Amino acid sequence: MSILERMQSIDRRYIYLLAWLAVLVPLLNPLGLPVSIGKYSTDYYNYIDALPEDSVILVSFDYGISAMPELYPLTIATFHHLWSHDFKVIVVASWLQGPMVMDVVLDEIDPAEMYGKVYGEDWVELGWFAQREVGMAALGKDIWATLPVDYIENKPTSSFPIMQDVKTAEDIDLIISFETGTPGLPEWIRQWETPYGTKIIMGCIGVMVPEVAPYLQTGQLQALIPGLTASAEYELLLKRPGLAIAGVDAISMSHLLVIVLVIIGNVAYFLTGGGRS
Amino acid sequence: MAELLAVWTAAFFTLAIYSFLYKENAWFRVAEATYLGTAVGYQITVNLKYLRDQWGGVWSSTAFMMTMFAFAMLIGLLWYFRFSKKYFYLYRIPLAILVGTGIGQAMQTIIFAQFLSQIKGQISTPLFVSGELVTSFNNILVAVMVPCTLLYFWFTGYGVNRDTALMKGIDKVARYTMMAGFGSAFGYTVLTRYSLFIGRCQFLLGITPNPPEAKMAFMVITVVLLATLFGWDLYKRQTPSVVEERL
Repeated sequence: MSILERMQSIDRRYIYLLAWLAVLVPLLNPLGLPVSIGKYSTDYYNYIDALPEDSVILVSFDYGISAMPELYPLTIATFHHLWSHDFKVIVVASWLQGPMVMDVVLDEIDPAEMYGKVYGEDWVELGWFAQREVGMAALGKDIWATLPVDYIENKPTSSFPIMQDVKTAEDIDLIISFETGTPGLPEWIRQWETPYGTKIIMGCIGVMVPEVAPYLQTGQLQALIPGLTASAEYELLLKRPGLAIAGVDAISMSHLLVIVLVIIGNVAYFLTGGGRS
Repeated sequence: MAELLAVWTAAFFTLAIYSFLYKENAWFRVAEATYLGTAVGYQITVNLKYLRDQWGGVWSSTAFMMTMFAFAMLIGLLWYFRFSKKYFYLYRIPLAILVGTGIGQAMQTIIFAQFLSQIKGQISTPLFVSGELVTSFNNILVAVMVPCTLLYFWFTGYGVNRDTALMKGIDKVARYTMMAGFGSAFGYTVLTRYSLFIGRCQFLLGITPNPPEAKMAFMVITVVLLATLFGWDLYKRQTPSVVEERL
């Protein structure tokens, strides 16, 4: 068997070993590759920054624990951004494990200690709502009835000062959705953006980008952070380097590995006559 | 102490799941079953809490609403007839309500949200943007590629003849467009998978804000897992008959 033929039947475990090395080595010894700030992250940053103070923002956890490695750095950075302003933040989750992710966020950021934010006045966590898209529609019609008690203190939603003037989708200025799939942006657009005109910005895992990018062009989505690389750019804009920045070198090296393997595989395939057959 | 235990447990389950990359093994199965069990248990708990919270809202406000709540509970219980051969048909009632409500709710706005808006967005995109060469090029590409791809799936009706030179050209552009789309989706899939992997590696290496204790757990547990996996393989190779009997 020639080298070219062998290259096409490499034991997949060697590839996995290379993938481990391509990630672990740059994490242990950062290469300091430059990160250029792109349009996606700038638009996302500017959109939040340009919101009037006292805007009411609904943050929706449309992802669970399994997507945390990609979306958590963006989530943390966004909460730092939101709480550094005087926005009113309402946290909900259309995914069951969303509140668990918020628990981790609160372990890392204490909004009262770091930003002087008072629970119930400046922000509130209402927890998970059932029935995905139908739940979103119900939430838009009546937030108090759909989520009658909050997640942290188990008190009636309507009793919090922040919720006094917030009852339906019309009282919300912006949705920030972090998501990995369904329910997610199309459902928010169908149940909130189209009937109520609520503005939406989002952060999503890379897989979703081809699906959600067309909504940017139509203006149904105002800004989008796609994946970990754009999250790193957003951290730079915030001047708060976090996990996304720490992972950029590993992303570059791992992608380089994939590109090299694709080239080697294709060259070997065509040189051994695969293309002709 | 509890935090240390949590870190070691998390490191163990991470590595046990990744041990599947070597081959299917007992560590992976333990981690998989534990993850599934924990996730299902969590879901049941959150759902029950949600029901309790709902009762505290409008549902307990009047006798009528209480009756409706009880009625909804009874319909919900019909789900369990899925496990009965005799009364299986009852399971279709909540299923029909759920599917019907979901589709009805989506259909209300789907024509505006995902059909008309996309057409409007496509038409209103300018072909040329002064001073922005790349954007103009991109817009022209979109203006050509979108109609071609739509025409690719036009099979019936007056004047459809796919053998003409024009239609063959359109089909070719459409195929390239779709390939570019699939390629983009694949590229982003690789990005996501690596991002998830990198996140777990950051945890295992104890990179801030992850707990630094994870690094030690990573090293110790890796050695234990590799030793057991390779040891088991070696044992199987040396005494295949004994292993087969045990399996």
